[in-house]
Amino acid sequence: MVASVFSSALKLLGTTPLSRRKAMWGMALVAPNVLGLMFFFGIPVLIAFWTAFQDWNGIKPAQYAGFEKFELMQDDPYFETSLKNTIVLTLYTVPAGTVLALGAAVLLNQPLRGRSFFRTLYFLPVVTSTVAASVVWTWIFQPRYGIVNSWLEPLGYGETKWLTDPDYILVPIAAVAIWQRLGFNIVLFLAGLQAVPSILHEAATIDGANRWQRFLHVTLPMLSPTTFLVVVLGIISSFQIFDQIYVMTSRYVPGGVRHSASTLAYYLYERAFTGSDFGYGSAIALVLFGLILLVTVIQLSLQRFWVYYESNEG
Amino acid sequence: MLKGRNLVLLLVAVLMVSSFNHAVPTQAQDSEPAIKALPCKEPGTLTMWVWDENWAKVIGDSIEAWKETYCPGAEVDLQVQPWDQYWDLLKTNAAGGELPDVFNVSQDRFFFYADNDALLDLQPYWDEYGVDTSLWGAGTVDPYRWGENNDLYAGPVNWDTIAIYYNKDMFDAAGLEYPTADWTWDDFAADAAALTTDDVYGALTYLEYQAGYPNWIAATGTTPVVEAGRTSCTLSDEGSLEALNFLYGLFEQGYMPDVTTVGGTSADDAFAFWSSGKVAMITGGSWKLPDAIAQVPFNWDVVQLPKNPETGRSRSIVHSVGYVAAANSDNADLAANLILYLVSDEGQRFFAEAGGVAPASPSPELQQMWIDSFGGEGKNIQAFVDALEDSQGVTVFDEIWDAMNSEMVTQIFDLGIPVEEAAAATCEFIDSQLPQ
Repeated sequence: MVASVFSSALKLLGTTPLSRRKAMWGMALVAPNVLGLMFFFGIPVLIAFWTAFQDWNGIKPAQYAGFEKFELMQDDPYFETSLKNTIVLTLYTVPAGTVLALGAAVLLNQPLRGRSFFRTLYFLPVVTSTVAASVVWTWIFQPRYGIVNSWLEPLGYGETKWLTDPDYILVPIAAVAIWQRLGFNIVLFLAGLQAVPSILHEAATIDGANRWQRFLHVTLPMLSPTTFLVVVLGIISSFQIFDQIYVMTSRYVPGGVRHSASTLAYYLYERAFTGSDFGYGSAIALVLFGLILLVTVIQLSLQRFWVYYESNEG
Repeated sequence: MLKGRNLVLLLVAVLMVSSFNHAVPTQAQDSEPAIKALPCKEPGTLTMWVWDENWAKVIGDSIEAWKETYCPGAEVDLQVQPWDQYWDLLKTNAAGGELPDVFNVSQDRFFFYADNDALLDLQPYWDEYGVDTSLWGAGTVDPYRWGENNDLYAGPVNWDTIAIYYNKDMFDAAGLEYPTADWTWDDFAADAAALTTDDVYGALTYLEYQAGYPNWIAATGTTPVVEAGRTSCTLSDEGSLEALNFLYGLFEQGYMPDVTTVGGTSADDAFAFWSSGKVAMITGGSWKLPDAIAQVPFNWDVVQLPKNPETGRSRSIVHSVGYVAAANSDNADLAANLILYLVSDEGQRFFAEAGGVAPASPSPELQQMWIDSFGGEGKNIQAFVDALEDSQGVTVFDEIWDAMNSEMVTQIFDLGIPVEEAAAATCEFIDSQLPQ
């Protein structure tokens, strides 16, 4: 019995001794990373699952609370606001971020002078610390002295209170998020663009397709796996926006007036640390986790309708 | 029976409220130290956390002196955890059961740790050491009293009061006389109006709990924001609305800037706005004196907060940072002995000489030493000491901090939400956070 399990496990690694040995090497090489991830990520995640069902303020021993923390969400207006803001921020950042990245990638894919310089330039925000970037963007959006309002002045929006007004506060936060993710998305799209076989473009040209038609009917479909990846990763990261909110609202009202800038990620921090309710914080984290899982599963199941994998067609 | 109990409760409440009045320390004799340091029983190792670099230097020096004179062989690992992370780190360490042996707390954060039995009751030690804790001003230590017997859980490091910092050059330019301690809200409003020009605001006095609007509420006789003992929100009370509407009136007239113009909701933002010459008068804490002396490029001075015309009171918020020890410390006796030294006349001398924050010590000699430490600047430092006489202890706590410290202020003084509406909304939240 044990032997058969062992041999079938070995078979998973490969069918020949050589491929098995190769696979073993691969496993050995990723082991440090996997173990590190399990230790520093897996264990805290498991603890969060456990904490979500406890009443724990961080000092006194935790008490089992069942689903109490989840029931708390139903009557918590700030939870509702945070959930709404999480979705709104996704709607602000993912479509705009994807389209902008695609546009920039197409431009950077042209044989223009200084191309690698611009590619580096677009990638810089990705490696910039979010905290530092958010501080700078706070200045840019400062209503009295910032550059954004001086541009909007002629349009009559020079008085917009980006950093305090609940109606506008998500805009600067979304702007930083888009800006900072742009470079990463551009790199993905560039790789995707370069993988589009030039033979397809040539064929389309011979058939009389113009530049726009080629983009629409050749490039875009061929790029769809990349677009899918960009959208999935974009939604996941937009659900996790935290630093920008923390930094950009800390000078005025942390989390915004009436939690207008609070997302689930921010609110769970606030409940756990300011409110000393680690159970509630963990419960919100679980909801966020469930939400991300749900959206990702939906996307995976919808992808067959619009994502084109060349290899599938064989 | 019920009646009797209510009466007792009422008496306790009255006692608590009145005990928040700060008695100016006078009892101490000139020759005898007010609080005497004593040798430790057994040396050992302690960890200690503070959040301020400058304090760490002063405290580090006093710890050295303690080790030399009172506890040879003791070791103290003194760590600075920056303010931005201090409370999150403390909470995380508390969760892991690893609080430092000795650490600094503020009065608004004290409740949480006391409430959860995380702090060492220092009262037995005060009794053992023969320290009369009533020597300290009530506002500095009463918020650190806890439990049925009002045991004192902290040793006070310092005291802070609030006064008006004003730009003398602007008063000269407007042809106004400098304010004196007996000025009233009406005088203040008239000055604010006269000082306002196209480039300069007259005043900015609403920012933050400690330096801002609560001082004005206190002058009306109402306890600002929440009653002592966390029993009820007071922001919708008559006195609160009177004070907030007074400030809002000045704001509406254009004598005060909005939050957006100031560029933030902290008292430091207000101070920066003042020191860059954009506003003539601000409310500021005594802890800003060193910065003001070092950085402010114009002629300035300080004066006590103006008196409310009806009550005739000028009433400053008073706050004192405390030294506390962890309940589960392995070296509780040693921790208590170190705290005793740090709050003794000998230990407090280091703060008095450093010329930063005012030492909490009830010794009049040390208080004078602190005033003198600012040298011949000719500033009215005494205003901060005088403010102690009628001052208001801190009653707010961690969970409601953002709501009353910045959120309500931004609603009123930036988004134009009516005072009554903003106060009611804030009270609704505060009420939900009061202990059951």
